[in-house]
Amino acid sequence: MSDALDLRALSPDAANRGASSGDDTFPTYYEQPLLKRPHWGWEVVTYLFVGGIAGGSGMLIALADRTAGEDAALARNARYLSLALAAASPVILIKHLGRPERFHHMLRVVKFKSPMSMGVWGLIAFSAASSRAALAQAARDGLVPGWLAFLGPRWFTNPAQALVGAFLAGYTGVLISATAIPLWAKGKRHIPAASVCSGFGAACAANAALLALRNEASDSQRKLERVELVAGLAELAILLDFRRSAGALGAPMFDGARGRKLTNATLLGGIVLPALLNVLPFHPRWKTIATSALTLFGGYALRESFIEAGKTSADDPRAAFRQPE
Amino acid sequence: MATGFFTDTTLCIGCKACEVACKQWNQLPADGYAFSGNSYDNTMALGGTTWRHVAFVEQPAPLDAPPSESKWLMVSDVCKHCTHAGCLEACPTGAIVRNEFDSVYVQPDVCNGCGYCVPSCPFGVIDMIEHADYTRPSFPSDGRTDDDALQRHGGVAGKCTLCYDRQKVGFTPACAKACPTDSIEFGEVEELKARARTRVATLRARGVDARLYGIDEDNSIGDLNAFFLLTDRPATYNLPERPVLPSTHQPAAYGSAALAALALGAIGCLVFRASAP
Repeated sequence: MSDALDLRALSPDAANRGASSGDDTFPTYYEQPLLKRPHWGWEVVTYLFVGGIAGGSGMLIALADRTAGEDAALARNARYLSLALAAASPVILIKHLGRPERFHHMLRVVKFKSPMSMGVWGLIAFSAASSRAALAQAARDGLVPGWLAFLGPRWFTNPAQALVGAFLAGYTGVLISATAIPLWAKGKRHIPAASVCSGFGAACAANAALLALRNEASDSQRKLERVELVAGLAELAILLDFRRSAGALGAPMFDGARGRKLTNATLLGGIVLPALLNVLPFHPRWKTIATSALTLFGGYALRESFIEAGKTSADDPRAAFRQPE
Repeated sequence: MATGFFTDTTLCIGCKACEVACKQWNQLPADGYAFSGNSYDNTMALGGTTWRHVAFVEQPAPLDAPPSESKWLMVSDVCKHCTHAGCLEACPTGAIVRNEFDSVYVQPDVCNGCGYCVPSCPFGVIDMIEHADYTRPSFPSDGRTDDDALQRHGGVAGKCTLCYDRQKVGFTPACAKACPTDSIEFGEVEELKARARTRVATLRARGVDARLYGIDEDNSIGDLNAFFLLTDRPATYNLPERPVLPSTHQPAAYGSAALAALALGAIGCLVFRASAP
């Protein structure tokens, strides 16, 4: 008897509410959202973006050090960059939390069940490894007394930065997937992988731009362009597969104005266009810098799309009644 | 000892005494004076400073139908105090704890306002209080929205405490105390469950389509310490039909990230090789 009743018909503005998950058999409670929206704004988006570049740079250091000095300039820049971004991260998070002492509340527990707790400890570990690596680099560069180099031996800092860096680039995707938000939970196999690819690609772009700005080592740039191409195409494939598998649940991210923005800023502007520019046979500095700027902008737009689409997904009661398993 | 609520919606008369008692005891601010037009529900949802919410489902019936065929459902919704609580698992500060009454409790002075618990609740219960007075540990908000000093401190998460403070001195939680029909029953959870199962059997024998929500179900949340007796499907009352514990997504998510990192690392190793001499 109750199933025959369509409560939505009682709601005068039912037609104006957000995208439906497609299952129209559910009665809703006056189209009210079931779930609460996360209150995360630009600070969280920026942290996801910055953490991704920092972590990706950590991975690049270990790669650049494999080539017997050919990519020494890249390794050096990446060491300084990863420290700078790791140091900026807590500042961004504190801006989000409101007061500095609130950050240290996260340091009173270690919770394996909480990706945010794991992430904070990952950030601390990454900062520690990056500080030592950058200090040793500064010692080798003659910026600080040379004997300080023993504090950051490469056999220790390289694998540490690579492993924890990969974690740093990916855990933010785990963090949003392990929620009740239908879009995010549905993306548990796609969002973390896309985050890693996006972070790694953005790190390649940032380091290529640094090399170009400093007029250093064009061989390293060609290598960065190649791995950036792979990361970008992987990201593109993952996002397209996410779109396919999410079906109606993916509407907040892939349809409408936000979908167009994702297509233009991330898929086309942030992946396809840089890939085309990268395979062009000539390599002026302006091209490297323009390509990097496009990739970085696309990476930021992707993180923003994840967060903002998650808020819209939370507003869809039908999607939330049967939560993705 | 685990204590909780058994909310029997067949006894609810929609008086909202529970909402008022909760606001009053916990010194929570008013929700404003909006008129929703959705039956008698102007509260509309639980929130950071709204810890009981009476939902009204007014179902129309033809004028000539016998009174028994018209339906006006009411339920006093509340934090479920889950056996496996998404908010508690997500909290990175340890601010959300399980107390000695087996309730899920937010320590407002430890909460740092990160907001991760909010999307981690499969029932959409916990929410941020933007202007929180964390200096008063017994209750997290005074609801002032124009106080710059409080705003600078940032918000905290807020939800039902199952009247931790009243339970500490042996009192019944404010909502259950105020409920005039005993629709909200407070007590020891196992005893409440036994009573609820008996009540369902009685109602079914009378031909009422009654069902329990939140106990004896097979899902990742486990039993709820605050559970319900409903006479319609859960979605009708804005309750999830199949809630999922968010942390169950973690293995797949970590696997996805690890796979991508390994693949990119392997390709990076192929690209970054010392060129042949």
